[in-house]
Amino acid sequence: MPVTPPRNLTELFLGFLSIGARSFGGVMPWAYRVIVEERRWMSEEDFTATIGLCQFLPGPNVGNASIVLGKKWFGLKGSVVAFLGFFGLPFLWVLALASLYGEFALQPGVKSVVTGVAAAGAGLFIGTAIKLAKPIARKPAALVVITGCFIAVGIGRVSMLIVIPIAALISYYLAKRGLL
Amino acid sequence: MNILVELGLYFSLLSLLSVGGMPSVIPEMHRYVVEQRGWISHNDFIEMFALGQAAPGPNVLISSLIGWKIAGIPGALVTLAAMCGPAAVLSFWVAGVWDRLQGTPWRAVAQRAMAPMVIGLILSGGFVLATPGGSPDWRLWTIAALSAWAMVATKRNPLWMLAGGAAAGAILL
Repeated sequence: MPVTPPRNLTELFLGFLSIGARSFGGVMPWAYRVIVEERRWMSEEDFTATIGLCQFLPGPNVGNASIVLGKKWFGLKGSVVAFLGFFGLPFLWVLALASLYGEFALQPGVKSVVTGVAAAGAGLFIGTAIKLAKPIARKPAALVVITGCFIAVGIGRVSMLIVIPIAALISYYLAKRGLL
Repeated sequence: MNILVELGLYFSLLSLLSVGGMPSVIPEMHRYVVEQRGWISHNDFIEMFALGQAAPGPNVLISSLIGWKIAGIPGALVTLAAMCGPAAVLSFWVAGVWDRLQGTPWRAVAQRAMAPMVIGLILSGGFVLATPGGSPDWRLWTIAALSAWAMVATKRNPLWMLAGGAAAGAILL
């Protein structure tokens, strides 16, 4: 299947706009569908490599992808256009939803529903962590780092500004020794 | 200090700490805006989290909802810009370098080192969100556990889990 990068900034903008606008329940599947399947801007392998980079970097994954891909095709202008296309609609939509919610928040029952949604959302985090942990769950060093971070940040409520540098040093040392 | 400046600076810092994406910094965001500064309550925080999860778009928008709750529309814009900005600059700068590191041992080591940290942080986020004030509530934990199980065991769109949480919340809470 031949791939052709977006021909101009408008096309780039519209592509990322449609990722942002449709991404109910998760962005990554839509990014894949639009970029690889619908618009065929790049091959699956290139997409996977780009996402690998964006997951490695701090920040929102697909937000970073909009920066990296925009730059690749059109330089700085491309980054700005792709980023704005991606965030524009979801940002407006989420604020509209929040304002609407403000009107209903005091109705009886609404709080219970929202608390239930948040608990389910917390469960999605836990599910994500379990999925990510599966490939490394047999390595004792990995379990030590996971448990250490969880106890410090989740239970001890220690600031990440302290936990991250320490955990990164330990983790990097363990990985270098081949234990991770 | 002006609250917008403070929000901007703090979320810029979070941006650079958000290894593995936004979920990693949820526990730190909660610690700071709820526990340390008391800008909003735990309830406000989970309301904004729930709305951010249910709406389309990247989950980093949860930070703009938190900013909105704290300081209105300017707060929403400042937190989103701060949460994305530093990471975006870093991405722009690193984009070319990364390809050159392909296959180097350093890159593989760094990637392996990051995984368990990210997992520990995301777990912390789930725990903090489902445990208001650090006191366990079996109903919230049950909903969270079922939703986590559904995520691991099925390939359903996560919106189904959120809808299940809404129904369970209406009945149990």
